[in-house]
Amino acid sequence: MTMLALSDAGQVVVAGTFSRAMKRAGEAMSSMSGQIIEVQTPILRRCTAAEVLAIAGGPEELVLAVYVGIKGSLSGHSLLLFPLADAHRLAQILLAGLLGPGELPMKASDDVLAFDELELSALQEAGNVTISAFLNELGMHLHEPVHPTPPQVVIEMAGAVLDAVLLDLFSDLDQVLAAKTTFSEGGRAIDGTFLVLPRAESLPVLLDALGAIGL
Amino acid sequence: MTLTQSPSLLVAGIGEMVLSSSPEAQLVAYGLGSCIALAVWDPKMKVGGLAHFMLPNGQANGSSPVKFIDTGLDTFLRALEARGALLNRCVLKAAGAAAMLTVGEGLAIGKRNAEGMESALAERGLQLTATALGGNSGRTVQLGVGDGRLLIKRLSSVAEL
Repeated sequence: MTMLALSDAGQVVVAGTFSRAMKRAGEAMSSMSGQIIEVQTPILRRCTAAEVLAIAGGPEELVLAVYVGIKGSLSGHSLLLFPLADAHRLAQILLAGLLGPGELPMKASDDVLAFDELELSALQEAGNVTISAFLNELGMHLHEPVHPTPPQVVIEMAGAVLDAVLLDLFSDLDQVLAAKTTFSEGGRAIDGTFLVLPRAESLPVLLDALGAIGL
Repeated sequence: MTLTQSPSLLVAGIGEMVLSSSPEAQLVAYGLGSCIALAVWDPKMKVGGLAHFMLPNGQANGSSPVKFIDTGLDTFLRALEARGALLNRCVLKAAGAAAMLTVGEGLAIGKRNAEGMESALAERGLQLTATALGGNSGRTVQLGVGDGRLLIKRLSSVAEL
């Protein structure tokens, strides 16, 4: 099977909308943390399953992932993936914004795999706020609401996190549309990957709503 | 599909299989979640294969010959036989089929993969000798072609199956 074909002009329209939605996501994360978190211009492209895994750092890369399913007129999956060291750093930035630097609890362990409840809660909420902001921006172009599922945080190999999502999307497709971006704070990159993976049947709805068809 | 005699690490990507008769070869499938890996090893011929299946059923295509268990299993087994493996004396082990995400279809897909694998093998008169299936953690599996050892690596541990 093939993906819905898009002209160059149509791709520009879609990329522009995704870019604005990603910017909204960054603003939401900045608002939550009290720090300026910038979002890179997203890369939007069609990917095979292997390419989606490569975007996330490879199947065995250990990541903290926040997953939010997308339901409604646009359905699919969205994920925020961070290498573990970056996830710890982002959690500290978020908690400093929420609690104040003097109120940050001491970390009980230097183990990169160990996240305490506060860190996990902050990262889950960051993922939720970020992804919801993105969906709200997209939802403005659609005639029906887009509903995010409750967020879920998983610490695992990227391949293991992503394959359930990929299995859902690739059951009758060989390629999916993936949007990826990265974040930075204070000039330092937070090597996060934001993946938006619409289901095949949602693409015509999305592209039509964006006015990308027929350009 | 990768077919090689070189003593190296051969990776079965998602929907792919790797086979070897080189005693130094290590066959690997990284980061299995809901996917299921089938490792087959012939102790006499020292031939091994590892297939990284995605889903229980569907129509296979050229780029992902073992994307689906029902249409890909025979492709995998015939490739092993072509390398000299006798299936009736082979050791068959499976790993993966976890439920990583509690939302969506993650749980169902892993379970369906485990059931699909067991029934597809039974239809061919074959059965698994060991499994590491289900749960909610990811796995990397590695089959040593020389000795048939199957290692299962999780987030912070490695064990032999």
